[in-house]
Amino acid sequence: MKKLLVVSLLLVLSLVAFSRVTITMTAGAVGTELSVLYEQLDKFMRANPDIKVSVMPMPNSSTERHDLYVTYLASGEKEPTILMLDVIWPAEFAPYLEDVTADKDYFELDKFIPGTVKSGTVNGKIVAVPWFTDAGILYYRKDLLDKYGFKNPPKTWDELVKMAQTITAKEKNMYGFVWQGARYEGLVCDFMEFLISFGGDVIDEAGNVVVNSKAGVNALQFMVDLIYKTKVSPQAVTTYMEEEARRTFQNGQAVFMRNWPYAWALVNDPKESKIAGKVGVAPLPAGPAGRSAATLGGWMLGINKNATDEEKAAAKKLVKFLTSYDQQLYKAINASQNPTMMDVYKDPELKKVAPFMVDLYGMFVNAEPRPRTAKYSEISDTMQKYIHAALTQQTTPQKAMEDMAKELTQVLAGR
Amino acid sequence: MKAKTRETLVAWGMVIPALLVISIIAFLPLFQTFYNSFFETGLRPDIEKEFVGFGNYVELFKDDRFQDALKNTIFFTVVSVILETIFGLLIAILVNQPFKMRGVVRAAMLIPWAIPTAISSQMWKWMFDPSSGILTKFLETLNIVEPGVPILAMPNSAMWAIIAVDVWKTTPFMALLILAGLQLIPEELYEAARIDGANIWQRFSKITLPMVQSTIGVALIFRTLDALRVFDVVFIMTRGSVNTETLAVYNRVLLMDRAFSGAWFGYGSALSVVIFMLISVFAVIYIRSLRIKLE
Repeated sequence: MKKLLVVSLLLVLSLVAFSRVTITMTAGAVGTELSVLYEQLDKFMRANPDIKVSVMPMPNSSTERHDLYVTYLASGEKEPTILMLDVIWPAEFAPYLEDVTADKDYFELDKFIPGTVKSGTVNGKIVAVPWFTDAGILYYRKDLLDKYGFKNPPKTWDELVKMAQTITAKEKNMYGFVWQGARYEGLVCDFMEFLISFGGDVIDEAGNVVVNSKAGVNALQFMVDLIYKTKVSPQAVTTYMEEEARRTFQNGQAVFMRNWPYAWALVNDPKESKIAGKVGVAPLPAGPAGRSAATLGGWMLGINKNATDEEKAAAKKLVKFLTSYDQQLYKAINASQNPTMMDVYKDPELKKVAPFMVDLYGMFVNAEPRPRTAKYSEISDTMQKYIHAALTQQTTPQKAMEDMAKELTQVLAGR
Repeated sequence: MKAKTRETLVAWGMVIPALLVISIIAFLPLFQTFYNSFFETGLRPDIEKEFVGFGNYVELFKDDRFQDALKNTIFFTVVSVILETIFGLLIAILVNQPFKMRGVVRAAMLIPWAIPTAISSQMWKWMFDPSSGILTKFLETLNIVEPGVPILAMPNSAMWAIIAVDVWKTTPFMALLILAGLQLIPEELYEAARIDGANIWQRFSKITLPMVQSTIGVALIFRTLDALRVFDVVFIMTRGSVNTETLAVYNRVLLMDRAFSGAWFGYGSALSVVIFMLISVFAVIYIRSLRIKLE
């Protein structure tokens, strides 16, 4: 009898040991992102001893991440089990992602910012759960604005130009406004913000290309003028991505910067930044359309369709854990990545550590999505080409918008 | 006779494993790329594969972006290979002279070539940075570049910057190959020429050049074929913006960025085949004109 008990106990134990599932997830390593994730995973694995999670750190550039995902998914591999997806990717990768529409309540998606959930919904099916959200915001030098008698950050683009001109005329080695003007995805984000605040759009609800409007040309002209006419931005912005802009700004060489929220913790880190504590954030200025616009960014978690059922179940548990209230709050505080769950913004702890997130809540909820289509990478590629050509004066804004509209129409109709 | 057949058999037996591996990793993908280039197809599971014959090729040659990329690639190849050959030859002649620490210099010369291109391109990208790059500062002091002008974002300077990096990186390779050729020239030839009263230019043009011609030929083939499929230095420095997109960079857009977005995979394969053909054409021209014996 005793023997039997021991044997069965051993059997159960060995079963437990062998039934441990290993899943892999891809993760970014921008700022403190990765170390925060490791802490979260430790906690998860302690609570779920039957699941082992290994992390595949990804390159910082989303273009390179995209290349890797194409390779993983096209090969039909079951790894990585969980993919960290840019908000613009779900439509394109949908055929390879597990449909989690049935788990809508399990993930409590009703409590998420609706725009972010919509990004993960393709043809009515939910294929990705919002992990953290992003929106373009304006960083400004509080100390410099005070010094020159400006009480508030600029409300309109014209105000921004005037303030920048006033300050750079007196300060040495100072640019007015830095943003992302290199030919890559970030340029589309910045352009959309100008475009919408000027009253334009890229593709309308019915799917027609409407980018070549009066507002569109004016918006692009304004961007070009920032560099060559009002000279508020250095010519170098045509080579800037997020990190170049941030480095210029935190070295104290710019009054204003357009960037994502991740920069907040870094520009205020006295070890790294020369202007820690002198920075304010505000919504991006409004254009002639009387409104300001921020591009919706951020990352989602999707599950690989080729994973085994057991792995998928474990993956869902992990996704649920990482997108839960507590973990979103933890991530927001430690990695300054914005929560996607609305209630987290009401948390007093968040208000204390990252007040700007709470103050700019309206901006994050109403952020403008980029076109949601499987052809997005072609659309973006086309837009980048013509915007950058105008910014480097290879063509006029007018001609650039005409050609862009023509090619976008072809892209939507083509292959 | 018998011994010879046995020898042949043994030889085949030793070569076959290598041939097998090469056919699996080189010929099979090559054949598949050829095959795919005749279809309109994508990697998305919901795209139907449709046979279009030479349709992709016809469209490709009407594609403005392809034509630009072709021009850029040829320009890059011609300019960079010419510069590398001239500098390589000069450096090889220089380090072929006896002087103190020659071994050290020869080894140090190879450093640029030993650094992976991805790393050296990134390094140069930082040196070209408009606000903090050391090279930009240097060119500004010499009044070659206006302050604040981003070299890598200007249509007239970006390609030259890329060429500069490639020349810096691969000249040592050229120099090394040519140096090997120079060392094969017997010293007696120069001695005899000197006795006959030949001056330095005559010695160079009548002895050195003809003697290293075939070495230079081989080096040229290596470099040209490499330059025609240039990817890393362009992708890292400019991503193909401001008139620097080469064929391989455009091919990445088609095969990676658009892999799932539409039926571009066959089109991309057609471009791969065109790059392959282009390289073959150059190789044949070289071999014919330099009468290099492959046997």
